[in-house]
Amino acid sequence: MKMSKNTAMTYARPILIFLIFGIVAPVLNATGVISDTTLNLWGRYFCFAIAALGIDLIWGYTGILSLCQAFFFCLGGYAVGMYMLLKTGAQGVYGSALPDFMVWNRVEQLPLFWEPFHTFTFAFILGLLVPALIALIFGYLAFRSRLKGVYFAIITQALALGIYLIFLRNETMLGGTNGLTDFKTMLGFELADPATKRGLYTIAFTALFASYFLCRAIVNSKLGRVLIAIRDSEHRLRFIGYRIASYKVFVFVIASMFGAFGGMLYVPQTGIITPGRMDVQASIEMVIWVAIGGRGTLIGPIIGAVLVNLLYSFLTGAFPGTWLYFLGLLFIGVVLFFPDGLIGLTQLKRKK
Amino acid sequence: MKPKRHKFLRAICIITFALISGAQSIHAQSDHLLQLGRIVSGNRDSITTAVKAIADQNDLAYYALMTALFNGELYLKNGELVVIGDLQEDDYGDSFAPLYTAYPQRQPILNADGNPLIAPLIDFEEIDSNRRIRALIQPYLTRMEIFHPDPIKRRIAAETLGNRGDVTAIATLRNALKKEPDSNIQNLIHVALGKLELTSPNPDIRLNAAKTLKERNNTFVLSFLRARIEPDANGAIPESNPAVQSEIRKTIQWLETFEQIMVVIQTTFVGISLGSILILIALGLAVIYGQIGIINMAHGEFMMVGAYFTFIVQNICLIVLPAAYIDLFFLLSLPIAFFAAGSMGLLIETAVIRHLYNRPLESLLATWGISLILIQLARTIFGDLTAVKLPQILSGGFELAPQVILPYNRLFIIGFTCLILIALIAFFFKTRFGLCLRAVTQNRDMSACMGIPTRRVDAIAFFVGTGIAGIAGWAMTLIGNVVPNMGQTYIVDAFLVVVVGGVGKILGAVVAGLGIGISNKVIEPFAEAVYAKVLILGLIILFLQLRPTGIFPAKGRHEDE
Amino acid sequence: MIFDPILLTVQNLRVSFDGFVALDIREFVLHDRELRVVIGPNGAGKTTFLDVLCGKTKPDRGSARFDKFDLTHMSEDAIVKAGVGRKFQTPSVFTSLSVYENLMLALKTDRNVLFSLFSRLSDKNRDRIHAVAEQTGLTDHLHAPAASLSHGQKQWLEIAMVILQDPELFLIDEPAAGMTDEETVKTGEILQRLTMNHAIIVIEHNMEFVRQIARTVTVLHEGKVLVEGPMEQVQNDPRVIECYLGKHPETA
Repeated sequence: MKMSKNTAMTYARPILIFLIFGIVAPVLNATGVISDTTLNLWGRYFCFAIAALGIDLIWGYTGILSLCQAFFFCLGGYAVGMYMLLKTGAQGVYGSALPDFMVWNRVEQLPLFWEPFHTFTFAFILGLLVPALIALIFGYLAFRSRLKGVYFAIITQALALGIYLIFLRNETMLGGTNGLTDFKTMLGFELADPATKRGLYTIAFTALFASYFLCRAIVNSKLGRVLIAIRDSEHRLRFIGYRIASYKVFVFVIASMFGAFGGMLYVPQTGIITPGRMDVQASIEMVIWVAIGGRGTLIGPIIGAVLVNLLYSFLTGAFPGTWLYFLGLLFIGVVLFFPDGLIGLTQLKRKK
Repeated sequence: MKPKRHKFLRAICIITFALISGAQSIHAQSDHLLQLGRIVSGNRDSITTAVKAIADQNDLAYYALMTALFNGELYLKNGELVVIGDLQEDDYGDSFAPLYTAYPQRQPILNADGNPLIAPLIDFEEIDSNRRIRALIQPYLTRMEIFHPDPIKRRIAAETLGNRGDVTAIATLRNALKKEPDSNIQNLIHVALGKLELTSPNPDIRLNAAKTLKERNNTFVLSFLRARIEPDANGAIPESNPAVQSEIRKTIQWLETFEQIMVVIQTTFVGISLGSILILIALGLAVIYGQIGIINMAHGEFMMVGAYFTFIVQNICLIVLPAAYIDLFFLLSLPIAFFAAGSMGLLIETAVIRHLYNRPLESLLATWGISLILIQLARTIFGDLTAVKLPQILSGGFELAPQVILPYNRLFIIGFTCLILIALIAFFFKTRFGLCLRAVTQNRDMSACMGIPTRRVDAIAFFVGTGIAGIAGWAMTLIGNVVPNMGQTYIVDAFLVVVVGGVGKILGAVVAGLGIGISNKVIEPFAEAVYAKVLILGLIILFLQLRPTGIFPAKGRHEDE
Repeated sequence: MIFDPILLTVQNLRVSFDGFVALDIREFVLHDRELRVVIGPNGAGKTTFLDVLCGKTKPDRGSARFDKFDLTHMSEDAIVKAGVGRKFQTPSVFTSLSVYENLMLALKTDRNVLFSLFSRLSDKNRDRIHAVAEQTGLTDHLHAPAASLSHGQKQWLEIAMVILQDPELFLIDEPAAGMTDEETVKTGEILQRLTMNHAIIVIEHNMEFVRQIARTVTVLHEGKVLVEGPMEQVQNDPRVIECYLGKHPETA
């Protein structure tokens, strides 16, 4: 029957992908075929891909260009980073219960806002909630006054710059330029242990897998249609009676949470989070991952995020100094020649 | 340490020295010889006596000698006092130094060929001083510095003399006041005199001094004045006379008001200065955004292009032009910066932007890509840090009050921004091409129907916009280094100016630029610059709640998509 | 003729752009189940009038009472919720979505975010979509992307979307533009059928079409109501002929 064959097809591919990346790769790593570094790198790419899914929802589907997604990514990252740093406790260089950078800055008491991060649950909830709240307030104000298109992009960029500068400062108690680093354990597991790394990789992939299906559910709901309609003609949709601002705020909040979620999984794998991850360029780069993969599709941003970062690792190693040229050309090329990204290219071929 | 020579030799030296000294009145000369002789003797006690005597005389002729003695540069060569210049070392490690006369002025000593004489140090004997001698010399030097040819030294001397509270300096200061050509330094001398006279035993003089200080508008004396009327550690008030007290209070009151006025002026000026920079950058952005609805993310990099071309022109001029005309490079580089950045803009418009009209978000990404490439290109070609020399005429500043100096380069940028504004408005509203531009902005299709080549108009708008960015870069060389990422410093703020100003409105950019610039500087004293920035962003977002399309929105029955 | 109760009362409505008075209506009354055609030369303020009624343009002063609401003080979505539906002059459907999805978005359902996220289309609503599609001749194109429709079909889609919103008051701007004669007639029939349960304001240039559907006609000229009355009377009014019909002999 036609129906069942389709169902089989729709399930076969995801299961295969999950088998390869979620099970086979970690097993190969455990047996030494795939190096720890490679597995760790891919684990990070998956975190980027989660954030990219969020960007795809807001930009690819809804047509709103947000240039502060790296900021949300870092908020999540800092939340988990703070938790891990507190767990490091007296194992730090200075042997103090306070994080090293605080000892360095002659801080004697843990700032109040650090307190909740002693427990993982709170760190996790705050890591998602704080970005969501910021997106809610900022989005409400921006969308209520019908800020859109280039205006919204610029305002979010200014926001990203402002927060970036605040994170750079020492008195905000977030580690300044050096950020947070020197993590030792996560929920009791030694971060240096290859098995922990393997576990983190698997969690990152599973999270990506779940995020993909969550996004799919959103996109396939009526709300998904509303988002696309906003992209096509927000003006028209308004006169059908939709309160556009609510939808935009919703998608902005969701995108911020995907970003933060990616950041949370990212930091335990890299062992460091600095404000450099959220500078103005970082956010725009994230957008280009989505553009390269193919916006408005859900598999596109994942492919884009992984591919661009693979290229980055390769090029900075093989031809140092050429990365910015290459990235610049990517920006121009993707916009000029294949606006629908790699997915668009394959679809074009299929049609021919 | 060189071996001490025989006393006998010293005596001969004194006589020799006396013989070659210039003619003076018998008394003065004998006194003068006496002091010099004491110094030449090398005996600490004799030197101390001589220095005391000289210091009391306030004779400028000893300035070079005393300075040299103070700095340990005074030597004895064949019985003659000489001052040595910067030490040089030869291949064997022996020290040589150029020689100068010690009295009455520091002048190079020439050899037979008329070249500066450079002699090995081994031949000389140093005239040693100690801390006590130096302490004796110090006040003399300060007093004499009030006559120094260098105005900066005179300025410092005037302030020091006023602060030291040494009443004996009053005569010197009065003397200096007569000779002082610079009105600003005259003012400082008046202030110094006022401060010294406030401690005079005569209440009339003190009263006058308080009045003088009120006229001089120097707020640095405030703490000094307050100390005069407040009880000191022993509970005594230094100023006992009630009339003088009240006069001092009046002076304090006025100076406090004056200080506030100056703070307002200073803040406004710095704000306008920042605002004019933002306007200068935002103008080009606004022209392009108004015309084709594209936010050019590479705008800052076109600025950078303008700045680097200024740098190149400067370097060429350094080779080609005679030194006296070197500052001409700055004028020369203005059109070059404009056309270089503009042409590059035109090239990019044709190659990239042209294909992205009506896709503002995509063009935003593409222009960001362009900016990345341009930054990396500049880094590859020029390295990381270069700077353009400030033209002589623009160094220094206009002294509004002793504590408020408006730098000429900032003043220049403010004036220049006004000029560009006028030029741009003239271009838009007085030329036929400007008419075409405005027509296309208002109704593209209709303009096309009327035979306006809209595509070419767009291209020229892009050329003008990026050209203005180049000019902005040219102006920015006055206040900062030329570095590959210099465009990034102000660019986000400039974007905000365009957003707040309203779609491509020149007047909007001006009002928004000044508003953002001034409020930044108003907030900065209360919060760090970073927080000021974030606060401004918050204010902008709140402002956009009231006027979502900026200060000067486009009105009418438009389809908004 | 027995009139239904009054549905819409517009009073002292004035709209200006940069000092230019685009609309200045002393009074305009519409009854329930009435079909009113608004005509007038270009720039007479017809579209601006509809813009005010659907919340797109805020007037300088005046009121537009609809049921218990004053439309001039309401947001676009609140106006739709109150029961006013608008079809724009140039069709602007959602080109990335299929015709079916376009219709689904227009369905009269709860429009809040959470409902959109979790709701599933009921059978009743699915039937309604199919019924309206049938009525507007879109059944064969239901799963085609809206971008692939012809201009006339997009007009149909727009009309179908307004019908699915099930408003009490339809605001319809030039429905016949870009349609063939046959399609125009069919549009007229649909509108007439709709008046059995709804009130409609139609802006139209095509005089054939106006004659087909109009009972009462309002003529706007330079923002003001020039004449109002039955078609035959308006048609023969010398002022109307002078300002409008006279200038368009080919349509008159």
